[in-house]
Amino acid sequence: MKKAKLFMDTVVQIEAHCGKTMSEEELDIRVSRAFDAFRQVERACSRFSPESELMQACRRIGKATTISPYLFEPLRFALEMAEWTDGSFDPSIGRLLETKGFNSHYLTGVRTNSDADLSANFRDVELNETNRTLCLHKPLILDLGATAKGFAIDLAVSELKGCPGFVVNAGGDVYAGGTDEQGDKWTIGIREPKSANTVLQTLYISDASVCTSGSYERRSEVEEGEHHIVHPATGRSPNEWISCSVIAPYAMMADAFSTAAFAMGGDEGIALIAEAGLQGLILTRDLRIKRIGGI
Amino acid sequence: MAKMKKKWVALCSTAVAAVYAAGYWSTEVDKPEMLVNGTYSSPIVSSKASVSGNDEVPSKYIDGTYTGMGSNRRGMIQVTVAIKNDQITDVEISDFAMHYSIDDVIGMPEEVLQIQSAKVANVSGATYSTIAFSDAVQDALNQALRT
Repeated sequence: MKKAKLFMDTVVQIEAHCGKTMSEEELDIRVSRAFDAFRQVERACSRFSPESELMQACRRIGKATTISPYLFEPLRFALEMAEWTDGSFDPSIGRLLETKGFNSHYLTGVRTNSDADLSANFRDVELNETNRTLCLHKPLILDLGATAKGFAIDLAVSELKGCPGFVVNAGGDVYAGGTDEQGDKWTIGIREPKSANTVLQTLYISDASVCTSGSYERRSEVEEGEHHIVHPATGRSPNEWISCSVIAPYAMMADAFSTAAFAMGGDEGIALIAEAGLQGLILTRDLRIKRIGGI
Repeated sequence: MAKMKKKWVALCSTAVAAVYAAGYWSTEVDKPEMLVNGTYSSPIVSSKASVSGNDEVPSKYIDGTYTGMGSNRRGMIQVTVAIKNDQITDVEISDFAMHYSIDDVIGMPEEVLQIQSAKVANVSGATYSTIAFSDAVQDALNQALRT
């Protein structure tokens, strides 16, 4: 079976087969629970709904607030990555993204404009592991664009784990579990940026995720040359690479590493992926392909 | 290197486990936002969106499921939109098996359509937006409007 729904401003497609061991009904239930994962994470982490848990938390400055794991976990991962990259990746740049026109809700069209402080950084965000609380020390808008979708994929995967084969594809961030109906590893392409149906590279994977960050979708309507990945220190979009794909055992990991590496670029970005022992494929602006980890 | 990878993998597996451990999963799926406390005391974030906390205002939409049609250069797109308490709770692309695949509706240039030979079902790429679906969603919302 194959179903597609809209979540987090993209198309989430789940394909799964039940093999000989699982009933169609059981498969149906699992797929629908997998979609629920996206609904839950979106409800918690959306920067585009004033009612989301994230936006409510962003209205409470200087006070520790208990938050659900749907928000806590992708935020914790993002903060770890921010620390690791010394701020080249930073989940506190929501306000900056708003100013670049990335502030409109994909279903309602309603735009969000916050009065947050552009001077804030990830060190103004404090998570307490014991009490599961979040405390913002400055007015800022969190952006979990690089971890929330990956986390939703990972939760969906845990719902689908009993199926002999499935693929969760959230607008180009993919997890392939088990095998296809022929019993082979899944074939996943890495997109050639100029066209949606041509691939740079074909991968055969099972129980792994491939996520790609690129400059060729989600361009800024406000500033020419800008897109949805922004380097916090310069406030500008890096344009050294066109696309950066990472393969990892979890989608949240592949998602965050591809985004962070894209933001850093150069040897530093490549080292980030290599040092974590991951595989990656990068397409640079001068159309060279760089491979990491024996891909 | 291996040690680094372990650290990140552990963070991910802990993250998934936390959702289940807290019992959120089984109990909260159908409930409205659990941590909303209704009062927005801090005015730090001013949003143009009106936050509805007033039950006396009649809802804008009638709860239900609506089919909306839209089109792009590849043809018609059909979506099924579920609405509850003025919130869109589900948008399913209802006929993508008919005359195009999901990959086709992303608004790619015409010339690409000629070279579909190396077609791979699942492609990883920069996250595309849902602009191609906005007309269809709007069509469904129009039908749901309380008149």
